[in-house]
Parts: sequence; C-alpha cells; structure tokens
Amino acid sequence: MTDLAQPPDRFREEARAQLADERGSAAYDGVTQRLRTGRLAAWDELPDVEKLRERAYEIRMRTIDDLDRHLSAFRDQVEARGGQVHVCGTAEEARAAVVQIAQAAGATLVAKSKSMASEEIGLNGALEAEGMQVVETDLGEYIVQLAGGHPEHIIVPAIRQTAPEVAKLFEQVEGAPVSPELQELGNVARRQLAEVLRTADVGVTGANFAVSETGSICLVTNEGNAGLLTSVPRVHVALLGLERLVPTLDELAVLLQLLARSATGQRLTAYTRLVSGPAGPGETDGPEEFHVVVIDNGRSRLRETRYREMLACIRCGACINVCPVYRKSGGSAYGPVYSGPMGAVLVPLLARLEHAPSLPHASSLCGACTEACPVKIPLHELLLELRKDLVEERVTSGRERLAFVLWSFVWSRPLLYRLSTTLARFGQRFAPHVGPGRAWTSGRALVPLARRRFRDRR
Amino acid sequence: MFPDAVADAESLLSEAGFEVEFPRAQVCCGQPAFNAGHRTAARRVARGFARAFGHELPIVCPSGSCAAMVAQHLPALIERPPFEIWELSAFLAAHDSPVPKRNVGRRLAYHDSCHMLRELGVADPPRKLLEASGGTLVELVRPDLCCGFGGTFSVRQPEVSVALADDKLAAATGADALVTADPGCLFQLWGRAARTAPSLPVLHLATALARGVGT
Repeated sequence: MTDLAQPPDRFREEARAQLADERGSAAYDGVTQRLRTGRLAAWDELPDVEKLRERAYEIRMRTIDDLDRHLSAFRDQVEARGGQVHVCGTAEEARAAVVQIAQAAGATLVAKSKSMASEEIGLNGALEAEGMQVVETDLGEYIVQLAGGHPEHIIVPAIRQTAPEVAKLFEQVEGAPVSPELQELGNVARRQLAEVLRTADVGVTGANFAVSETGSICLVTNEGNAGLLTSVPRVHVALLGLERLVPTLDELAVLLQLLARSATGQRLTAYTRLVSGPAGPGETDGPEEFHVVVIDNGRSRLRETRYREMLACIRCGACINVCPVYRKSGGSAYGPVYSGPMGAVLVPLLARLEHAPSLPHASSLCGACTEACPVKIPLHELLLELRKDLVEERVTSGRERLAFVLWSFVWSRPLLYRLSTTLARFGQRFAPHVGPGRAWTSGRALVPLARRRFRDRR
Repeated sequence: MFPDAVADAESLLSEAGFEVEFPRAQVCCGQPAFNAGHRTAARRVARGFARAFGHELPIVCPSGSCAAMVAQHLPALIERPPFEIWELSAFLAAHDSPVPKRNVGRRLAYHDSCHMLRELGVADPPRKLLEASGGTLVELVRPDLCCGFGGTFSVRQPEVSVALADDKLAAATGADALVTADPGCLFQLWGRAARTAPSLPVLHLATALARGVGT
C-alpha cells in the first residue's frame, strides 16, 4: 500500500541507481527536454502568458480561501443530479470509501484511468486485498502496473521504459511474442485494454478539476480511456483532491488554457471532458452510479499556513520538466507518488516533514521550477521554508545544527572570521577526510586556498 | 576563496574610474546557513555583514548569489532597509564601463548563476562585457540548467551534483574557457574540471575580463 513517507536515505540511493542506468538517463533527458520545449512554444502562442498566469493564481488562491463553501456548493450540485460525494479526511478513509462502493456494486473487475490521487492513497492494493482485479487503462500507467512499479513522472508515468521493455511486458499478458514497434505496441495495448474497458464493473478516474456551479468533474486526457470509464461501467468513481475545485466554468476555462499547454505543450488535450452525474432517465449511456471521493489527506491543514500556495498546484508537471535535479535523480528518488519540485514540496507537507526529511534538500534551489509554474507557486521558496522548519522542528541532526551555530559565531565576527580563513589554509589538507569534505572530493577537487587573501594584499 | 577574482574585480572598477573601498570588518552575508534552513545562524552572520556595510555607498559584489542574498533576503531577515547592492557585471554595464580588449580571438562560454539569473535577472551584462573584451560567446546548450552546486546540496547529493557539473562541462566543449560570475558555480565547475577536463580553464568573470583568458 502506498505510503508517502520515505526513509532519509532513499533519495540518494535511488538517484545513484538512476544515474547508473544510461538508457534511463537518456530517456529522462529526452522526455523532459521535449516537454519543456513544448510548453515554452505553447506559452509563446498566448497573447499574454504572464497575465494569464496571474489570473490563474488569483483564481486558485481565491478558491482555496473559501474551499468549504465551494465544496458544499459542489456537493449540492452533484447530489441534485443523482450523484454522491464522499469527503474523506485520510487516505485510509478514501480507500475504504472506494472499496465499499465497489463491493456494494458486486465488482470483480475495476478499471482505472490515470489518477495521481489514486497513487497517493494506495487504492490498487486496497481493492486487490478485497479480491478485486484492478487494471490501469492509461497506457503509461498500464505499463507501470505490468512492470510492478510506480509512476516516475506525474504526466508520463512510464518515462524511462523503452519500447523493447514494453514489448516484453505485453508479451506476458499476450502469451505470444510482441514486436517492439510503436504502432504494434499501441495495437496490442488497445486490444488488451478494450476487453477490460468493456467488462469492468467499476470505472475509477481522477479529476483534474471539479466545477462547483455545475457539479461536474473535468477530465483532461489524451487517450480516451477515461471517456469510456465514465460511461461504460455501471459505476463511476472519481477521485478528487480537495483543493481542485473551481467555482465556475468560466474560471475552469482559464485554467484549461494553461494546463495542457504547461503539461505537454498542447493547446488542449485530445480529450477534455466534463462529466456531470449518472445517466439521467431515458439516457442510454452514462453510469448508473456516480461517486466523487474527495480526498483531504492533509490538504486542509495547509490552508492556514504559509504553504497554502502549494494547494494551487494543477499537477501539470512543468516544474518537473525543468528541474535539473529530477532529470538526474529520476522520479523514484522522491518516493512512489509525486516527484520533482512539486513532489519535494508536497510530500513533506502531506506526509509531515519528519517522514520525508530529505526532500526539501533534494534541490539546488535554482528556481527553474518557480519560473515554470503556470500558477506561480514559489516552489523554491517553499523548499527554503521547509528547510527552515526542518531545523526549527529539530528534524535536522543535532550535529548539523551545532555546526552552523559554531560557524555563525565565527563568521559573524571580523577577527574570528579572519582567523578561521588563516586556519583553513593550514587545515585544507584534512578536508577530504571529514564529512562534507569527503562527499565533495569523491567527485571534485577542492580549490586550493591562496597563501595571501585579498585582504592581505591591500 | 578566490582572492584573485576579488583583486581583478577591484582593478576593473578602478580602471573604470571608481574609487573602491574595502571594509576590512566584512564577513559572510549568511547565505550558506540561510539556504540550509538555519535562520538563527544566518541572522547572526547577516548582522555582521550589516555592521561592516552601511547604506552610504553602493556595494559591488563579484558574486551573483551573494548579491541575490543581500538584495532579496537579508533586509527581511534582519529587518534592515534594502542595501544598494550590485553584482559586478551589472554595475559595470549600468555605468558603461569600458573593459580592456584582452580576449580577442577567444571563444568564451558563459555559465549563468541561477540566483543571478532568476533572482537578480542579470543575464546580458556579463555576456556583453565578454564580447566587449573581444571574445566570441559560445552559448551553452541549455544555459538555464544549474551546474549542480546549490550550497549544501553539493555534499548532500554529491552524485547528482557531479552529474550536473558534467553536463555543464560537456556543454562547454569547444570553448577556450568557461566563465561564470558566481564563486559557488566556480567552486563546483573548477573542482569537477580539475578531475575530468583539466584542459578547460574555468574562470571568474572578473579574471576573464581583467586579465583575459590565458593563451
């Protein structure tokens, strides 16, 4: 079952493994670069992207300020159309809610479209534990599921899998050889998934947004699988992060102008759809039951904190695609769900800092993420704040805290400062053997300290 | 750490007709602690900085990230009015300072310091100055990418940090020198180049301008 918490050493270990994988590294470089170029070109097409970003930020923050009211309006609309809204405080509650809905429907096969919220709450394991079969129908997620892994990019889950690897995975299902040509892989996946889509009892989707005024959820995809999942199975369950509400359709339109452009460089994705409730009387398609499971899981506690801007995130992945660290470390380093800068901020906030202490430091603070964020979340500044909290909440080791206190006593006083730089010159030959010096010199030389400092020359 | 670069910065400023004062009581601005989350330690050091530098004269700093720290974070951190601080190349460019023609025929790659680029918005001045010194700029592939230094990041995640430096050094292949205006980036790129690309000089901007890239 997915747990957002992760041990302190995970980042470095996973990053090391990723760096050793040359083909995977090339895939990370290539995919992130392509998505970044696409975003920049798509942003360029807009008459005034800065103004649009500011408007999007304003919409997101205004909604978050008044989330209770928007959620209650959304609930009223959904219920008026015959759907149900289940507000869940924790991941556990959310899992239980979906399990209960599926069991009540007598489900044996649950088909899913891409949903990071589902990964966050560890839904697949919970359904499987109750004896149900769960199949991911988003191509990337399907590949990841067959590989027994986790998504390594929120938009491109199977970012580093190559065609031959995918062919091998499909062969296991097919029971026959599969050619690693892209066209053929697409055909095989379509065939394997068509049967699932046709026979699933329950369709589980995410929700990119939920519109309060109409009680609709908005699904932004490129493969069309979500459209089938919201109409073919008898029951549709949409997983909605609590913060993804939008008051009106007009405001949704503003966010949609930015979402696909920022994620994949498309103006709109191939399928951007609004789903509003179960099939009405006399309607031939649409599910019999429509459930929205609203996931809090730590979100509402952020509303009153300096981290509230993180709730503005629309999960486009633009920050991930520009992050130099992600590009090298790979997505797994951040844990099984969210990765890159948005993951480095969000995971410690949701899982609590002491359960993900390495993530705020998994950044060189270069600020590329903040520059790329379509809703203007100051990601690198939030990382800086999290680092401060790590120190103040004493998650940071006593040794490090003591070292910085001593350093600050010395480097804040001119006399001691000068003395320390003199001593450093004599001490520099020991540097490669202690703590940070050892980490530094494992791959780099130390700049030799000059015999005469600038101040000695004047 | 790089006394020659400071001396070179001073000579550029003097040659441009400015009188340079060097407050001998100066200490660090506190950036290392600030970026690592140690606010109390950062505050203590930042106050030391503020004791040495008043608000009377403009401060010129041959380091993009130190200038960004003083400009963006220090006033709020220690509750002082903003300092008039300039990154060296921004100061020289803003005052149309002439630079010696010491890089004629040289191909120079310039690496942007992330803080200088994104927090101070200084991208053109160093490039213009290098061109004014007679050099030809070789634009790095993906100049937006960090060199991997990131202060304590470089020792917390040394593998990723070094991999980023490798990309940066590879991007500079074909240049006569890799030039940067930030001692953090310089420390990182010089340190890695010393191990893997000893034939590529990695220089501070002030040095490249004041003395030219060596032959």
